Amino acid sequence: MTDKMEKLSDALLDLAVVTLTFPCSAEYVSIARLAILGIASRMAFSYDEVEDIRLAVGEACTHAVERSVVADMRAPTNDGHGTITIVSTMTINELTVEIKDDVPTGFPPEGVFQDPVGIDIDRQGLGALLMEILVDKVDVDTTPNGTCVRLVKHAHGV
Amino acid sequence: MNMKHNSGTDGEPIERDAEKAFRRYAASHNERLRDQLVKMHQNLVRYLASKFVNRGEPFEDLVQVGTIGLINAIDRFDPDRGIKFSTYATPTVVGEIRRYFRDKAWSMKVPRRLQELNIAASKAQDSLSSRLGRAPTIREVAERIGATEEETLEAIELGNAYDTVSLDTQMSSDPDSSAMTLGEYVGAEDVTIQNLAAYGDLTQAIEHLEPRERMIIVYRFFRDMSQADVAANLNISQMHVSRLQSQALRTLKKLLVDEYQT
Repeated sequence: MTDKMEKLSDALLDLAVVTLTFPCSAEYVSIARLAILGIASRMAFSYDEVEDIRLAVGEACTHAVERSVVADMRAPTNDGHGTITIVSTMTINELTVEIKDDVPTGFPPEGVFQDPVGIDIDRQGLGALLMEILVDKVDVDTTPNGTCVRLVKHAHGV
Repeated sequence: MNMKHNSGTDGEPIERDAEKAFRRYAASHNERLRDQLVKMHQNLVRYLASKFVNRGEPFEDLVQVGTIGLINAIDRFDPDRGIKFSTYATPTVVGEIRRYFRDKAWSMKVPRRLQELNIAASKAQDSLSSRLGRAPTIREVAERIGATEEETLEAIELGNAYDTVSLDTQMSSDPDSSAMTLGEYVGAEDVTIQNLAAYGDLTQAIEHLEPRERMIIVYRFFRDMSQADVAANLNISQMHVSRLQSQALRTLKKLLVDEYQT
């Protein structure tokens, strides 16, 4: 297939990719949430579905930031200047959001956060569970040099 | 069994208490025990409810609704199945909170909080502009209205888009003439112009297909996929693909023929 044909068929399927890269720190998570709000609002999602996606992406980013805080404390080699890249791929009937960070993995978060919630709550675990509930598919790919969370939400039309 | 929470001073004993309480409750269905379990897990509900606060409902209402989910989860939890209660209860609690939002049918109505924020933000923008002699920053507006910067931005950017206006809204403020309603100003579609403009060529005609028909046409004729592959891709039967394809081709033909005739 020629490039032109590929472009045309992508256009007909409304394939569009939006990429956002920002520092891996808490004050930028709201920018990611806003961007996702704008992206998801362009698609056939209801208000609540848009909010579900936004919440799931926010959770993924917050976890990356938390892991980064932990890595900074436990690994002096980590300079604490990581980034998060969010790649949103829109098609007619689904939105895929990849949240990639470059935080070195393998540092357990126990004892780092003063948890206001108290007992029986494992933040990363619950966050992952929450994402599973909010979107249709969650894949987590962990390498020593970072984590990639991939969220897929089907648009059923409004 | 669970060594994860050794950071807390008294995390472990309470955890074990909860497990014991669940065993006793499963056996006895004692109401006082249930109350105790509900109280014990309020933090879980509050944690989950806090995730949904920016959707325009008061936090305490969400905690109430989430607690209904929590009670259902407590009633159904089987401590011998070997999963943590929080893992078991989270989908139920979140499900109850999301259903609460769904039942509110937001699609036409703006979340009240966003509407209020939008009004507050534009007022704050006006008063800050005149006081500062320049346009205020988002942070200044956010501080004035007591919201986060994210909420403020959202309220300014999207608040208007969510606004719905009744078709019966009177458009004229002149007391002498009879007021026209917004509904009377809304024009009808001009079919001829629409046809001329819309069905210009095949590409545009394809855009008028239903999303699924469009995908079938694109997959079949632009990407040379077999009907079987398309069927697998869309998760429908091959016969269904074939039917949708002929339907789509008929629609395309009609759109293009109509264009030549007008």
